[in-house]
Amino acid sequence: MDHHPHRTALGLRLRSAATVLIVVAAWEAAARLQFVPTLFLPPFTTVMAQLWASIADGTLFKDLSLSLLRAFAGLVLATLVGVVLGVTMARNRFINWLFDPIIALGFPSPKIAFLPVFIVWFGIYSLSKILLVAFACVFPIVIGSYSAARGINRVLIWSGYSMGASRMVMLARVVLPACCPRIFAAMRVALPVALITTFTAEMVAGGGGMGATLMYSQRFFESPVVFAYIVVMLAIGLVLDAVLVQVQRHVPAARGD
Amino acid sequence: MPPSLRPLRWAWRVVPLLIFGALWHLLSHSGLVDPAFLPDPPKILAALIDLLRGPQIADNLAITLFRAFTGLVLGGIAGVWIGLMMARSDKFRAYVTPIVGGTYSLPKSALIPLFILWFGIGSVTAICAVFLACLLPMIVQTFHGVRATPQVLVWSAEAMGYSQRDILRRIFLRHALPDIMTGLRIALGFSFVLAISAEMIASTSGIGKLIFMYGENGAYDYMFAAIGCVVVVAFLSDRALLALTASILRWHESAVAESH
Repeated sequence: MDHHPHRTALGLRLRSAATVLIVVAAWEAAARLQFVPTLFLPPFTTVMAQLWASIADGTLFKDLSLSLLRAFAGLVLATLVGVVLGVTMARNRFINWLFDPIIALGFPSPKIAFLPVFIVWFGIYSLSKILLVAFACVFPIVIGSYSAARGINRVLIWSGYSMGASRMVMLARVVLPACCPRIFAAMRVALPVALITTFTAEMVAGGGGMGATLMYSQRFFESPVVFAYIVVMLAIGLVLDAVLVQVQRHVPAARGD
Repeated sequence: MPPSLRPLRWAWRVVPLLIFGALWHLLSHSGLVDPAFLPDPPKILAALIDLLRGPQIADNLAITLFRAFTGLVLGGIAGVWIGLMMARSDKFRAYVTPIVGGTYSLPKSALIPLFILWFGIGSVTAICAVFLACLLPMIVQTFHGVRATPQVLVWSAEAMGYSQRDILRRIFLRHALPDIMTGLRIALGFSFVLAISAEMIASTSGIGKLIFMYGENGAYDYMFAAIGCVVVVAFLSDRALLALTASILRWHESAVAESH
């Protein structure tokens, strides 16, 4: 086994490919041979045809762009608020005392439970969803930027002050850049939270987007659409995570050097 | 800190919450917002007392906790097992990686409509969603913990005549325990989110359904009281798990580091 590392690596890769093929083949066979009703499991090829139809008539693009817009708007809002609050908490004892219990109580709580509150206050369309996403994402970002600002090398701060930097200059030129990698790491944690919150909120409250169409199709037993949309959500998760990994690898501010 | 001062420190941490409660009270009386949409704290407190006296909160919370913890326990056991297998067998890992990698970044609530299609509305759907959401962090954390086991420990165990089974249990799993506990904490958070999401999307019972029903009926004071219960239960579960982790990992350097 150890004598042929290339052959072993190839063998492992073939096994991974085999899993995908087996799953797809078993899916297609189970559906075509009617082991399970087509309503519960439409054939893979039917799902792919439906996926193509949804792409062709533009509904998928419309739903996807609406969902992604909500998720990103919420995430950006959460980052702005979270970084300001986290860094302020790290540098000001009173603010820390004031907000720490709220953060401690809110961080482990399931934020989706607040969805009805956001619907009551902000309606069922994009505003309530963006704000709920921001609410769900702000906690990990506050905690990430707080511990980042706390963990800054003291020498950097002392050198900055000894060279006559004002508080604002310190914040902009020393504190925030030093926090960047860990803020970015917190955003990586928050991104899946943003996606799951957006999709779930759309499923519960409607108002358009991937989750709303998914739920609507399920109610009318259009199983191929349900499966096609789940496949798209799976792909979106993979693509966004791969993008973040690339950003972390190539952008110095996110990498930390 | 001496034990006699602990209640004092606890009270000091509650003061900010009271300040926010007072601001809330002022805001709901200021006329800036419709008090129907922002019921003031005394009304919410009255609703809470009313709810705690009746069976609604206790019954529905018990159902939700049953769903969350069943999924968590099943997902935890399966996740540790799969993670351990992945770390110890290259072939198994090669077969499983596409499935784990593919479903890891899938928002698990997307599967709820599918589970409703398959299992109908009820506990099975919620438990399946919680199970899958808990499974993946447990696999990943166990895998990393087992993979990071120093070879020296394995060699020493072999030299002392441990069987393969003992090495798995007493070396690999023991070394991965801090990571497994981290995975469990992530999974605990997911278990509440998924159970409540499934109940809000389609269910006839559970705390998620109860909150949503109060929202739809316009009983906003009861809605806030029920949400408050969820927040407190989630917070206490998280703290209980942290305390359990601290006591299980007394021997670990993370515990030593914290006591300094």
